[in-house]
Amino acid sequence: MKLHEYQAKQILSHYGIKIPHGKVAYTPHEAKRVAGEVSARGPWVVKAQIQSGARPKGKFKEKSAGRGSGVRIVTSRRAVFNEAEEMLGATLVTPQTDKKGKIVTRVYVEAYQQVTQLFYVGFAVDRMTATITLLLANLETDSITDIISKRPETILRLPLDFEKGVTIKQTRQAAAFLELSEKRVAKLKKYIQGLFKVFVETDALMLEANPTGVSKRGDFIALDAKLTIDDKALYRQPDMIPLFDAYEVEERELRAAKNGFQYRALTGSIGCIVNGDGVALAAMDLIRSRGGETACFLNVKGGVDRDKIASGIKLIMTNPRVEGILINVLGGFLRCNLVADGIIAAASEVGLNVPLVVRFEGTNKDEAKQILETSRLPVIIAEDMQDSVEKLLQAMEEGD
Amino acid sequence: MSIFADKNTKVLIQGITGKQASFHVQRSMNYGTDVVAGVTPGKGGTTHLGVPVFDTVKEAIKQSGANASVMFVPARQVVVAVTEGVEAELDLMVCIADNVPVKDMLEVKAILKGSKTKLIGPNTPGLITPEEARLGIFPENIHNKGRIGIVSRSSTLTYEAVLETKRALAGQSTVIGLGDDMIIGIDFVDCLRAFHEDTGTDAIVMIGQMGGLFEEEGAAYYQSLSHKKPIIGCVAGNTLPAGHNMGYVGEVMTNGIITVQDKVRAMQQAGIIMVDNINDIHKELAKVIAEC
Repeated sequence: MKLHEYQAKQILSHYGIKIPHGKVAYTPHEAKRVAGEVSARGPWVVKAQIQSGARPKGKFKEKSAGRGSGVRIVTSRRAVFNEAEEMLGATLVTPQTDKKGKIVTRVYVEAYQQVTQLFYVGFAVDRMTATITLLLANLETDSITDIISKRPETILRLPLDFEKGVTIKQTRQAAAFLELSEKRVAKLKKYIQGLFKVFVETDALMLEANPTGVSKRGDFIALDAKLTIDDKALYRQPDMIPLFDAYEVEERELRAAKNGFQYRALTGSIGCIVNGDGVALAAMDLIRSRGGETACFLNVKGGVDRDKIASGIKLIMTNPRVEGILINVLGGFLRCNLVADGIIAAASEVGLNVPLVVRFEGTNKDEAKQILETSRLPVIIAEDMQDSVEKLLQAMEEGD
Repeated sequence: MSIFADKNTKVLIQGITGKQASFHVQRSMNYGTDVVAGVTPGKGGTTHLGVPVFDTVKEAIKQSGANASVMFVPARQVVVAVTEGVEAELDLMVCIADNVPVKDMLEVKAILKGSKTKLIGPNTPGLITPEEARLGIFPENIHNKGRIGIVSRSSTLTYEAVLETKRALAGQSTVIGLGDDMIIGIDFVDCLRAFHEDTGTDAIVMIGQMGGLFEEEGAAYYQSLSHKKPIIGCVAGNTLPAGHNMGYVGEVMTNGIITVQDKVRAMQQAGIIMVDNINDIHKELAKVIAEC
């Protein structure tokens, strides 16, 4: 689960990390009002709150939103109002969103913070060593995106102890790397350790303070914040759940997630129901190699409840993009007969108007085939994955 | 022959009394797996599926001589279940649970470090040595004994790979699903090493997946071997845009965006025979078998 910048910053601040004064606003009037609350005088920064990085490099689709990016610096409260009015309700496209972009529903108004130096601070899990790793980079000349693509070797990586976090030795190394004077080491350690604590205690998968600035007084300040929480740990992070922004997720995805399944929307015409990411990807590869494209896929891996499976199948059947359905189930934990029941339940409720090809293998596959055969639904049964894709494409062609 | 588990492996089941556990354990027993004990705290002293149930792993091992376990415990009990097994010095543990939090896996990996216990998973179908032992949830009816080792990071594509060995008129020595999660127990390197040491394995099928550098590390290990058994490889996900769903950090961690094509290249350079579609494995496998 991704958080908005303002939400992440509130959490950081709660852990004692310094952030610029700021408040969220949903209307231009509110933006103007909170500007006065966060700082008696300008400049202010008005930041579009969408869950995407690279907002300063973003552009709005609508002309009414002006030429500015998703992050705008202004010197008067009137200008705060104007910029908020332009951005709110408009669609921001950044290098990290898709082409459709995202509608800005709220802005964050911040007091402009003067800093002497900028650098990148990130925390992530190194999958290969199973350690939390601190990542640092100097942002004197390039943004972190450019550093990653041009000279990734200049990023300092420090594996952190899961219990203790950053050591004093590592902090000194970090300070030297960032060309900070030695008297800054204590404050740097406190800053890094605070972020580490946020990372561990919120069950984060990713935390970035990009950029981090150093104020004239030598304080470290998180000028932006990105925080992603591990969905699998949300059960023990009750404070995070109200922060979820449903707008950022597609509706079908949400409905699938309610039943514990994953739904992904793509741009083709074939709806895939599979169990497992690997099968989803292999099926998509195969569909493309035969000249088709995938509209969406639903992963029902681990499903044990036939009603939930049925409602998942309905999501695919009722997607207007879908002109053909491919069901590829290799039952292990998931039993094929439950999927067969689900197909029938879903079809009887919403109707089956497009070709549907099923391939069952593994646990209870014979029962599943029998269920479908006796149902008299116009379902095509295939023998293997390749066969299923070919049969579906053929049926779709004949239907045209 | 086989790797990690065979007919002599004595298996205990953690969380044996659950509904899903009962279904799959009964199937494993029918398959011939030597299930000797179960563990469900609070149900010690009872019997389930014909085997004695204990309150702790330690007690179960003492009474039954078990040396491996399959965990059917829910995700939030995995850290405790693994800790118990490691303390009791089990050789092998299989974790079926999906949805284990990443932070818990960091703790699990720390517990495993320096121990003799091998963990398969989590989020895995487990391990199967055809006609000998089924430690997990594999659809056993698709398996047949043979001399091809299979190791896969994608759970369901493991089954697909098994069907490919059949199409090549071969069977499997041992089949292992490494698990779909971000952090996993044993990896490609552990399995490739064991398959190379196993006299019952002639060739290997290796199925990769996006994310992490598991394939790259496996390929580097394979390249370093002086005596190589043939490997047929496949990585699914050619169609997905690269680096999707990953923020900067994901890319920083792997030194830039890692695509499926990068993985395929690394495996190819190490001498692994790569196929684009999983359903083409049997063709390459048939060629390899003819040469064996």
